[in-house]
Amino acid sequence: MKALDIQQLEKRYPNGVEALRGVSVEIAEGEFFGLLGPNGAGKSTLIHCTTGLAQPTGGSIEIFGSDAIDHYADARQAVGLAPQEPNIDWFLTVAETLDYHAGYFGMPRKERRRRTAELLETFSLTEKRDERTRTLSGGMKRRLILARAMMHRPRLLILDEPTAGVDVELRLELWHYVQKINQEGTTILLTTHYLEEAEQLCDRIAFIAEGQIVAEGTSEDLAARFDVANLEDAYLALVGRKELSRSHIELAPGVEA
Amino acid sequence: MSAAQIRFATLWRREVNRFMKIKKQTIGAPLLETFLYISVFGAALGSRIDKLHGIDYVVFVIPGLIMMAFATNSFSNNSSSILQQKFQGAIQDQLSSPASPAELLLAFSLGGFMRGLIVAVLTFLVSVVLVGLPVDHVLVLIPSLFLVGFFFSQLGVLIGVRAEQFDDVAFAQTFVLTPLIFLGGVFYSAALLPQPYETLTHFNPIYYMINLVRYGFVGFTEVSIGLSLLALTAATAALFLVNLRLFSRGYRLRA
Repeated sequence: MKALDIQQLEKRYPNGVEALRGVSVEIAEGEFFGLLGPNGAGKSTLIHCTTGLAQPTGGSIEIFGSDAIDHYADARQAVGLAPQEPNIDWFLTVAETLDYHAGYFGMPRKERRRRTAELLETFSLTEKRDERTRTLSGGMKRRLILARAMMHRPRLLILDEPTAGVDVELRLELWHYVQKINQEGTTILLTTHYLEEAEQLCDRIAFIAEGQIVAEGTSEDLAARFDVANLEDAYLALVGRKELSRSHIELAPGVEA
Repeated sequence: MSAAQIRFATLWRREVNRFMKIKKQTIGAPLLETFLYISVFGAALGSRIDKLHGIDYVVFVIPGLIMMAFATNSFSNNSSSILQQKFQGAIQDQLSSPASPAELLLAFSLGGFMRGLIVAVLTFLVSVVLVGLPVDHVLVLIPSLFLVGFFFSQLGVLIGVRAEQFDDVAFAQTFVLTPLIFLGGVFYSAALLPQPYETLTHFNPIYYMINLVRYGFVGFTEVSIGLSLLALTAATAALFLVNLRLFSRGYRLRA
């Protein structure tokens, strides 16, 4: 079954900017899928269209076979989103943030309590449970939005640059966690600027540029497609910056490669 | 409870929780403001005015103050809550949930309605104790207050959704709502105004709301109760439908 089936998706903003121009992506259930592209390529717009935060101007989106645009209730129930910018309510405590989110998805109170305790523990937030979210550090906020995205046990988890600006420890913690839930069956759509992250985690990767999918496959497929040695060079070829390839870096005399 | 009921209850609870966390500002300050009005216009000024249409001045004024408290609190709660959540991006959590536009709109509306109701009820209870405020027509009073609260909740939602900065909300409240309320006859009877002010007052929709609430409490009105109730019902329903359309389209909520 397809976890996500996007066909000919278009998004034109009122100011005339065409953010998505006929994007088609299919992600199989249980897959770990990466979406790479430069800033402004359309990654976040695609995610926003999928989660109801933006309204497509054309095309279709189905999540586990349910329409995600017009009759979206079932589709949205299946999706968890950890957005790029921490969008947490300053008035709420850490525990309330999780509890309310699960409530929006119809989870009964007893189950919410159990799940909140479980995720607070998983993301090392138990000690912060009664603190207002505005007092959290950047890393803690990042943990919280990931925990929030997982609260209602989504079958499709969308991570929009989840490791941007986080320390090494949290990044590795996150990698372990998402690999674990992916192995347990959760489908994951990841956008990232860290190519090694995509290479290490993703089964398949798509390159998006100027609102279009320009290449798709495993990291080896993409390297072959651009006739280069690895994913990073394929990406540099995509953005027209081949000269930045590490293979072009000349080592100083006396320095061993 | 069904999943839909849990969802709606949570959306509503979040709105109530928000204003209860800052209750000094959202409940305490409006209460103090209302009692300052009662002190100044009722006790201080009222001692010089004697009676209006056979009613003690302070008793004449309080229904308008209760209506004003209900209206301004319903309005300001919703307009600021929605704008604040748009600013923080926190509203995305609700918008990306399975909640329908009607559920979202009703939950936001009821948040402000509850805050207005709490301030209005507390003001009423204290007024009963202090000046013996009567309730002459409860069957007019309850639907009138309900409609006033819901109308201004809807208006708050509309302004909150449209607003792009806090200035937009402040402008609506300071330059539109407050003058209309003050000039709608909270502190005086329009019948006592010279022309053309008396006639102009009849073009102010708040005038009819104040009269409805005043009639409910003290049995005095300068307008037709049936017609005013009908017009207020129609205006509230129309505003609700406008907001529902905005929520369905995602106007200034979704990109």
